[in-house]
Amino acid sequence: MPKVKNHTVLFYLIFFVVFLLSMTSAHGANATDTEVGFKKCMECHPKIQKEMNQKGRHEPFKKYQCSSCHNPHTSNYEYLVRNEIGTLCKSCHKGKKGSFDKKYSHLPFEEGECLKCHNPHSSKNPKLLTARGEQLCFGCHSDKEMFSKKNEHDPARKGNCLTCHSHHTSDYEELVEKSPERLCVTCHTATKKSHSNYPVNGTDCMSCHNPHGSNRNKLINENLHKPFAGKKCTKCHNPAGSANPLGMKSKGISVCTTCHPLIKEDFRKINTHVGDGVFCTNCHTPHASNKAHLKKAKEKKICTACHQDTKERLKDKKNYKYKHPSVIEGKCTECHRPHGSDFELFFRTDEISTCVGCHKKHATFTHPVGEKTVDPRSKGEINCSTCHNLMGSPHDFALRFNQKKQLCIQCHKGY
Amino acid sequence: MNREPLLYSLKNCELLIVNGHNGLKVVIVYRKINFVILFLSFFLIIPATALCAGKVRVKHLTSITGNNEISRFGLLGGVFFDENKKRLYFTDTTNSRILAYDADFKYISEFTGGGVLASPTSIVKNSKGNFFVAEPAKGKILAIDIGKKSVKPIDFSAVSGANPVYVGNMAVDSEDRLYIVDKANQRLLLFDSDLKFEKEIPVEGSRRLMDVKVDRAGRIYALNTTDGSICVYNSKGKLLLRFGTRGAGEGEFDFPTSLAIDRKGLIYVTDQHKNKVFVFNNNGRFLFAFSQLGWREGRLHRPSFIYINNSNRIFIVDRANTRISVFE
Repeated sequence: MPKVKNHTVLFYLIFFVVFLLSMTSAHGANATDTEVGFKKCMECHPKIQKEMNQKGRHEPFKKYQCSSCHNPHTSNYEYLVRNEIGTLCKSCHKGKKGSFDKKYSHLPFEEGECLKCHNPHSSKNPKLLTARGEQLCFGCHSDKEMFSKKNEHDPARKGNCLTCHSHHTSDYEELVEKSPERLCVTCHTATKKSHSNYPVNGTDCMSCHNPHGSNRNKLINENLHKPFAGKKCTKCHNPAGSANPLGMKSKGISVCTTCHPLIKEDFRKINTHVGDGVFCTNCHTPHASNKAHLKKAKEKKICTACHQDTKERLKDKKNYKYKHPSVIEGKCTECHRPHGSDFELFFRTDEISTCVGCHKKHATFTHPVGEKTVDPRSKGEINCSTCHNLMGSPHDFALRFNQKKQLCIQCHKGY
Repeated sequence: MNREPLLYSLKNCELLIVNGHNGLKVVIVYRKINFVILFLSFFLIIPATALCAGKVRVKHLTSITGNNEISRFGLLGGVFFDENKKRLYFTDTTNSRILAYDADFKYISEFTGGGVLASPTSIVKNSKGNFFVAEPAKGKILAIDIGKKSVKPIDFSAVSGANPVYVGNMAVDSEDRLYIVDKANQRLLLFDSDLKFEKEIPVEGSRRLMDVKVDRAGRIYALNTTDGSICVYNSKGKLLLRFGTRGAGEGEFDFPTSLAIDRKGLIYVTDQHKNKVFVFNNNGRFLFAFSQLGWREGRLHRPSFIYINNSNRIFIVDRANTRISVFE
């Protein structure tokens, strides 16, 4: 019996050694396979091999794992990547502590265009960024006017965009790191003395100041509301020494219409943008702005703050590929009246007149439109939007249907 | 030990009994399983699913369009069905008129009030036969007594508020109380049957109050467009329920414009941009949607107003198709 036991021990020992050897050799063979695979790739893509010398390399690239991201045979995506870039990247990079799940997103991040800022293989910059600091941001945010003012905010001048902004997502508009009320006071102190004795702590500094630069002192925005320019705060507000100094002198919209009486009539329309309180400030700033008519922001941003579904349509490049140029440029008021209108969809005049205001040729030659025409489907009149969906369409000229096979036969049966 | 399986054949299945190590095992094998599934699908499952989903509940009945006799319709405003006289009334805002149709949707007459009407939008009628027509451009609600041939604006002098009243849609309850949307103060104004201002119901958190309806039990429904929500109040104005949101998901709104309540208490909401009507139960749970973008009858293009009468006929102002689409 003891002899048998010795044999058993020996057998298990040999088995263990053979198992270890086989595992080691198998691992060695795999590593070699990866490298062999990588070399095979580099035979046709030699430029990429040079990237191996870069200090910062993407982890799979560093490990010769081309097939982590690419399918060597076929793919539905450019560069034979395994998925859409955004989805592919996010399959590994999920964001720390919900940092990818905040309310506002950087547009390239939202659209899954990670490669707008990052290199996929290697980079001399940290985080595989395509460029460093301000060079990266200004690559897209190249509004020279914004950054070439007489007075510039120090971080903007130095290109330290991330002092105030987040790069991927944020809980706040404009991707700022903190709420507007808390952001500026991280470095600055808002004193009563410099604000005509009004307690401005806890207010949004950017409603008056430009955080990048301005030709005015103290980075005040370019266009000023008259009472603000004249430091006549009490035209609208209670006196600085009163119990509620930031409160308004009168109720609701009368704060504005006392000086702008004609505006009231703009809102007395069938379709109107009236709201509660001082609803003018839904779109306008009462102090200083860099936009015409003291608008709070770019038109597109103001309008889509409420018209959220339109915002989504503007982003949808597949189903709404063809849009009216004014829609693309966000110039909503070129066709729609911002305060009120007696015409459908807040048009400036009736729909056809609104369109031919610019499309003058269409006023002389076109498919019959207007009062004397009848859409055989609805029995209503034919107008421009019968065939065009100006907010966006997958078809040329923002047509509602494919003009080569669907559009005309909607009404002209039998062709 | 006998391990041969025993086989019993029935009409549509086979019973297989196996004597294994752990005892007897019985296996039923359906021979005609495809037939069974096919049968169930066609005659039971598919109709039942469709019924549950409500897709067969609503069908298009007819459309009311303009013609040479009464001229083309312009921008259409509101709809009201008079249950006593069995008449349908709706406003043609652009052409400054109210049109009347009978229960078979035959044109009866138009009312312009000798030029009194300018841009009428919402319209309701109380049990005394008086019409109320909203004239937002004038900032008025006109009370029209056809019998006395009088047209008088409702007195808003007792109504206070930060902004002057901007009238929107209206509703009348079973006690002839009048409910008016005040867009400039995001509230509902309540007038008694003698047209005296009774009280206001602030619609808290509303960003664009658009429509109001009252059901048979006196519950008040308010629709907020910008935040895509529906608030339900009891007759005393206490908030009972708030539901709805904007978004791309099922039962979420793009741009809700109007709401109505049927006899069963289901809540119907038109969506101007999704070109659909969403239906919710009285707890705010989404049930189903009907119609889609289109120009042919039964389809909708920018629906702007909805009204449901006691016969559960659904009248929709199909604004971009310049017609009233009737469903049931």
